[in-house]
Amino acid sequence: MLGRHSERVIYVRAKWWGLIMIEVNNLRKSFKNKKQTVVALDGLSFQARDGEITGILGPNGAGKTTCLRTLYGLLQADEGYATIDGINASENPLGARAKLGIFPDKFGLYERLTAYEQIDYFASLHGMTGNDKKQAIERVIADLDIQELAHRKSAGFSQGQRMKVTLAQALVHSPQNFVLDEPTRGLDVMSTRVLRNYLNKFKEKGHCILFSSHVMQEVAALCDRVIIVADGKLAAQGTPQELCELAGETQLEEAFVKLIGSDEGVAA
Amino acid sequence: MIQFKALLLKELKEAFRDKRALMVALSMGFLMPVVIVAMSKFMIKQAVETPAIYVKFTGAEYAPKMVKQLKDANILAFADVPESDKKLWDKRSVEVIIPETFAQDLQEGKRIDVILRADYSEKSLAAPLRRIEREVRNYSRSIGYKRLLVRGIDIKILNPVQLQEQDTSQPSSNAMIISLMLGLYLLMGAFVSGQSIAVDASAGERERNVLEMLLCQPVKTQNIVLAKLISSALIATLSISIMLSLTTIAVGFVDLSKIGASFSLDFPTVGALMISLVPLCFLAAALQLFVGFQAKTFKEAQSTVAMLVMVPTMIPLALMFIESKPDWIEWVPVSGQSLIMEDLFKGLPIEWATLATTTLLTFVAVTGLVMAMAKRLQSEKVIQSLS
Repeated sequence: MLGRHSERVIYVRAKWWGLIMIEVNNLRKSFKNKKQTVVALDGLSFQARDGEITGILGPNGAGKTTCLRTLYGLLQADEGYATIDGINASENPLGARAKLGIFPDKFGLYERLTAYEQIDYFASLHGMTGNDKKQAIERVIADLDIQELAHRKSAGFSQGQRMKVTLAQALVHSPQNFVLDEPTRGLDVMSTRVLRNYLNKFKEKGHCILFSSHVMQEVAALCDRVIIVADGKLAAQGTPQELCELAGETQLEEAFVKLIGSDEGVAA
Repeated sequence: MIQFKALLLKELKEAFRDKRALMVALSMGFLMPVVIVAMSKFMIKQAVETPAIYVKFTGAEYAPKMVKQLKDANILAFADVPESDKKLWDKRSVEVIIPETFAQDLQEGKRIDVILRADYSEKSLAAPLRRIEREVRNYSRSIGYKRLLVRGIDIKILNPVQLQEQDTSQPSSNAMIISLMLGLYLLMGAFVSGQSIAVDASAGERERNVLEMLLCQPVKTQNIVLAKLISSALIATLSISIMLSLTTIAVGFVDLSKIGASFSLDFPTVGALMISLVPLCFLAAALQLFVGFQAKTFKEAQSTVAMLVMVPTMIPLALMFIESKPDWIEWVPVSGQSLIMEDLFKGLPIEWATLATTTLLTFVAVTGLVMAMAKRLQSEKVIQSLS
């Protein structure tokens, strides 16, 4: 009880300072089927702060997607909690989602809608109407430089174009917090750079960004803080520099392998 | 409300832009009236006209009078068959064998065996064979009557009891062919029209990875399901409205008076039909979405949904075999509506209480399915199977 209490004190102080926007505390989650029980999260805790890009790095099957899905309120944790701006994601999933911009693990587009209509759809789902909505859509379209895609149906869009539209629909309601699940998968260099620039711009505006990735270079270049997850637990956290020092390596990739204690499932 | 409007608008936009699914949905509405008219015309023709029958006679020369009577009834010798029908009648091979001793046996008052040989299992021959039988029997009876008359006996003694048939059915119930077909097609239309749209909106969206994005939004799953349900049910409703209005026009081109029947879809009938069918469109959409969300892949959903067609086709069929129907059959969805439609086509007055009960029960079933789906979309099993 005392531990929980002191955590609460720390949390309240941090919130008072306005630092922690996304908090994951002692999350435990296991999936059971007839034959076996798979432990996906085994007491994972971390925080992501405003004005920072926090990267979750982990091998395949480390529990990244499960952790993020708990954050969206799609999965219920067996133990522990996840909060967004102080809202508990399992108790009030709709409230938590309203504070989030989400770029999910696998994203698809509505092939028969135009890019503009899709962005409009998601803006309306966040309760935007009238002129506010119109302005927000036009702003995000201009920000991502997708004016010429706006009124085309999304069937036949390239992977990069799809990423931009997904990004636009996740951000149209200007969420304070932005969560991306492996957003660069399948993107070419140019699209990756667009995404990176956009995330940096977003960070400068004081938003909280949390994103999971496999790609070391990207995490090293982009993230202020890195959380390394292995076997559903926090393996290490810190700036990319700190992690390298912790492992006594110069390259983040080497540090990563050393910190998770295996090179299994690492994709660069 | 803003959310729900956006959800519904998006579903409708997608449904109306999916040209192929929409075509399938509405084609039933456009095709069925044509099928109904074509089939009823064909059936009326069969019932009213006496087309020529070509028979292979053996020993026609022994009974010229009987052959003449058959000829008067348009039952002709195979030798006279026109070239175009020759192959057909050769294959059908209807034989009438008259014995050599015909004239002599007739004179001596012995029994004469005339043989009619054909494939009795061949459906298209049923009517011609019946006609041949009738004509031969008539010929035989006329000779018998003459024999009695000659002996000074009143032929009335052969018919001590005469059955007088009085048909109490409404004139419109004679158009049973049309109403049976229309009833079945309307049920099918309600069940099949929205099918591809419902599968696309459920299993299709999951396969295209758009469902996860939607589930991550601050939207109640119940509203997601409801929007998809309304969109798909609306398409089905549109399809049956087209079917009904086109049939009303099309039936005008069929001359039902030939078989002493009348069939018209007036405004109250159409209204009552719509009241009983629209809830079925919702039930069908709910069942299809349920299957769609339950299935692991688009393909699986498609094959399972195809089995749902059995519901509207089997239930009316099963109803025909139940002789004493228990009350609850009138209330249960699908069978209730099917019975109400049957009454409507027979021209019987509408039982509003029964209609209200079955409508209510149908919507209870729809609500149950929607709640089950909304719950299922929150379940971990569904979330886990997203990737």
